Amino acid sequence: MRLFSLYRVELRRLLLSRTIWIIAILCLCALLPGYSVFTPNNAEVMSGKYIVNPVLAGTVIGAVLWAVITILETDRLHRSSTDVLTDSIASPISLSVAKTLAMMTISVFVTVIVSLLYLPFTAAKMEYLFAADFYFLHFLVFMLPTWWISILFTDAFYQITRRIELSVMLYAVLAYFSFSGFVSDDYFMCWLNPLTVTYSDGFPSYWPLRIGIYTRMIWLAIALGAWLMSLMCIRRYQKNLVSSFVRGLKKVYFLVAAMLCISVGAFLWVSQPFIDHGPEEYDENYYDKHNDIPKGNVSAVHYLLKVDPVTGRLSGRAEYTLISVMSGENMLTLNAGYKIKRITYDDKDIEYETRNDDTNGERSTIFTLPDANGKRLVVEYEGFPTVARYMPLSISDSIDPDYISLMGASIAPDMMNYNIDNKNTTFEITIPDGLIPIFAHEQMTDFTVNNDGTKTWKRTGEFIGLFFSAGKFVIDSFSVGEAGIDFAYGKIYEEPVQDYDIRQSVVDVFDYCNGHYGESGYNTDKRLLMIQRSAMYRGGFAAKGFCEWSETYLSPETLKDVDKGATSTEVFIHEMIHQWWGGFGLKCLDDGLWSDEGLTVYSTYRMVKEKYGQLYAQQHYVDEWQKAVDEQNRNFYNRYPEYLEKLPKKYQANINESNLGTNLYKRMPLMILKAEELVGGEEKMDEILSKMYADRASYDYGAEFTYQDFLNYCGLTEEDLCLE
Amino acid sequence: MKIDVNHITMIYPSGKKALQDISISVESPGFVGILGPNGAGKTTLMKLLIAGLIPTKGEILLDGKPQLSQEKKLKSQLGYLPQSFGLYDELTVWQFLDYMAALKNVKDRKVIDNVLERTNMTTKKKVRIRNLSGGQRQRVGIAQALLGDPQLIILDEPTVGLDPEERVKFRNIFSEMAQNKIILLSTHIVEDVQAVCNRVLVIHDGLILFDGSPAELISQSENHVGVYLSKLGDSVPADCQVVSKINTADGIRCRIVAERLPGFVQVAEPTLEDAYLYCIHKGA
Repeated sequence: MRLFSLYRVELRRLLLSRTIWIIAILCLCALLPGYSVFTPNNAEVMSGKYIVNPVLAGTVIGAVLWAVITILETDRLHRSSTDVLTDSIASPISLSVAKTLAMMTISVFVTVIVSLLYLPFTAAKMEYLFAADFYFLHFLVFMLPTWWISILFTDAFYQITRRIELSVMLYAVLAYFSFSGFVSDDYFMCWLNPLTVTYSDGFPSYWPLRIGIYTRMIWLAIALGAWLMSLMCIRRYQKNLVSSFVRGLKKVYFLVAAMLCISVGAFLWVSQPFIDHGPEEYDENYYDKHNDIPKGNVSAVHYLLKVDPVTGRLSGRAEYTLISVMSGENMLTLNAGYKIKRITYDDKDIEYETRNDDTNGERSTIFTLPDANGKRLVVEYEGFPTVARYMPLSISDSIDPDYISLMGASIAPDMMNYNIDNKNTTFEITIPDGLIPIFAHEQMTDFTVNNDGTKTWKRTGEFIGLFFSAGKFVIDSFSVGEAGIDFAYGKIYEEPVQDYDIRQSVVDVFDYCNGHYGESGYNTDKRLLMIQRSAMYRGGFAAKGFCEWSETYLSPETLKDVDKGATSTEVFIHEMIHQWWGGFGLKCLDDGLWSDEGLTVYSTYRMVKEKYGQLYAQQHYVDEWQKAVDEQNRNFYNRYPEYLEKLPKKYQANINESNLGTNLYKRMPLMILKAEELVGGEEKMDEILSKMYADRASYDYGAEFTYQDFLNYCGLTEEDLCLE
Repeated sequence: MKIDVNHITMIYPSGKKALQDISISVESPGFVGILGPNGAGKTTLMKLLIAGLIPTKGEILLDGKPQLSQEKKLKSQLGYLPQSFGLYDELTVWQFLDYMAALKNVKDRKVIDNVLERTNMTTKKKVRIRNLSGGQRQRVGIAQALLGDPQLIILDEPTVGLDPEERVKFRNIFSEMAQNKIILLSTHIVEDVQAVCNRVLVIHDGLILFDGSPAELISQSENHVGVYLSKLGDSVPADCQVVSKINTADGIRCRIVAERLPGFVQVAEPTLEDAYLYCIHKGA
């Protein structure tokens, strides 16, 4: 009761302090660097750019500001001898606790004000991608707890050292540790600058928030423990540190609470469920070593899975129909976060042992089959999918309310001793109603509705690999000529897809590229599934029957990026044409000038010219290219590169970045246009590009389709295409 | 309220012996003046009484119970003005007193107006503390000590920085308050003690040289105070301490205290200041 009374008094006093208000105002501004100079999160998506980075900037800068004010406020009491008066009225320990709690309360007020202040701007910038709950959660998960950790640590440092410079030094060391290279990809060590992964706007994953909450809990527990310990060091009766601490030890409950907090922090750290405990390097031979062992055969598999999007956990059952059995010791691997609940062999429980051998995000389990006569092997498992330690920033498996992504051993056991015939596979999964599943790059259509707000989806037949994703997809099915297309995109992108007439653009691109460069190879039976994927997956990927692309192509900023086309529809055309000239059409070398961007921009220009006429294409494409190239040529530093080297690095980088953009999107299309003139016009150029496309099999992934290759196809030399 | 100090010795970690085996007992109502030269141990005694220090030896009892076990009770009944203290400069006088009142759990904010009036700071209540003069800050210090009607008031040099008129006023305020409380007043100004205290402690080198009423202290020095006329350049008689020297037409009129006055000295009526100096002289 007395503590609460002191807390109210301190809160009221601090609110009258001008310094506190200055710090609060600085905290309001602390988010600004997140829009430009402080961008720890990959800002390809809007939530990364307009939520995560500003919040992280506010987190770090605000934490330092709170550390400063905590030290100053605490030191001022002693320096001005005001504590001589206050300590005669109340216990200095109670006063210190009240002051720290009051400081933390004010940080809550500031967090609320900051979040409300930036809300309209963020919502306006993110448009249809803005989600209020996601926005506010970042302030609550990252900013506020980190500020508290900072306050607790600095208060602890000051109470222990009673010296302002030592406290600042200790805090600086702790802050440096968080930023240092030693812990750069360790979520659990970055206490000041929470580590985050690439975000997604359309398929939001709560994984970064889950691990954010967890790491904040670890550090809050440790900071609280240190702070409680420091309370025992508060100087009383004019005693020094050691005597005060010895005297403080008499307050056993402080010591017990401090040790408890630190133990909780250590326990949470050791038992974290997010990253596996395997080696930091990828083990390339992990899977190879099981290739040569004798194997039994499985004729059919039945996977039965259920996910809990709230806890992010999966429970599964894999039933194998055996043709031939490897009796004796068998091995399976599963995601390292899963725990096997039961293994049965012809309905009889068998013994198993899970090893602590995490590798590549997986963990092995050994079980012994008593004989070779069994017909049915069942494995039941459950858990939270972990991320492989060798690439902690790449989140491939995640179970969230609006998006689920699972693959390989995160779906089912990898049976090392068996060859599995994928032709007779049944895959059943229970997911929240409202999510549309895609399994092994195919749509799932067969489902039953459950009473608990879930649906169980089922698919039988042959599958290539275990890949599952589910999200709030809209699937638009249509045909372009013979090609049947299923275009699956995030529901949140419904508005731009309709506004920018994306479907018609897909049709137009298929018509144009099929006609000019070559058929896509799809028909009504062999449909193309175009899947918009979470931005966690960079770029695109394609194989027989499907192509995936990152969601970033439909973000407001991409659609408004005039560098890629005159209108947003043309931007999407540009991105679609990448399906021919990008990663799964021709493999081009990105050596500055020579990349698939040039061919794509040129093809976009050609298609737009056909669609809107010569004048439009000339004005919005060729003239723009020429203007940019002329400006680049006129630039003093480009004409005299020796002076460019003398500029500060920041300005050099700006000029180099500008040159790169011009080379990619302006100079090279202009060079291809020149090539078009030299080879004899558009028709001739189309023939050349068509031949290049037809020959694409020769330039598979990893092969180099160089600028010289292009020149060879055109029968030209480098000098021919020189624009100077 | 009753405070018993039993055989207290205080030795600082530096080895300095501040108090040596002193014992006193104070009961309300009582107004105790503590006199002593710089470094005598007055402030140490004050700090011990407010539980700001733990004695090296001996014990302090509050109403018969060990002081440290009664720390909450002590703080709730204490009004303390230290010799040097700081204030929250960014607050106004009223805000600061409001803060201190809240710390003392004083709910009625009229109390603040009351102490402002008593310390003659009503007109300054909206002034920020950083803009106050030294004397005004001292008055704010006194005002905070008076908040909450404390039963034990400990004042360490409270009238430093105050003009004579204010000193008199505060002396009277303290005197009025002492009717039902314990007030311990440490000061260099003997006049203040003489005016208000019913008990005097003289401390020197960590020892209590005298504990009694001002009249008893004065009576101790009878026949040990004298005056004589000296000339410029004359030395002070051996074993005598000069209390004052006044230039007159006949020469320098010296007032001295001594255990045994020289024959040429005329015995004078002692004042409390003479008695205090005699006590110190005798103790030394």
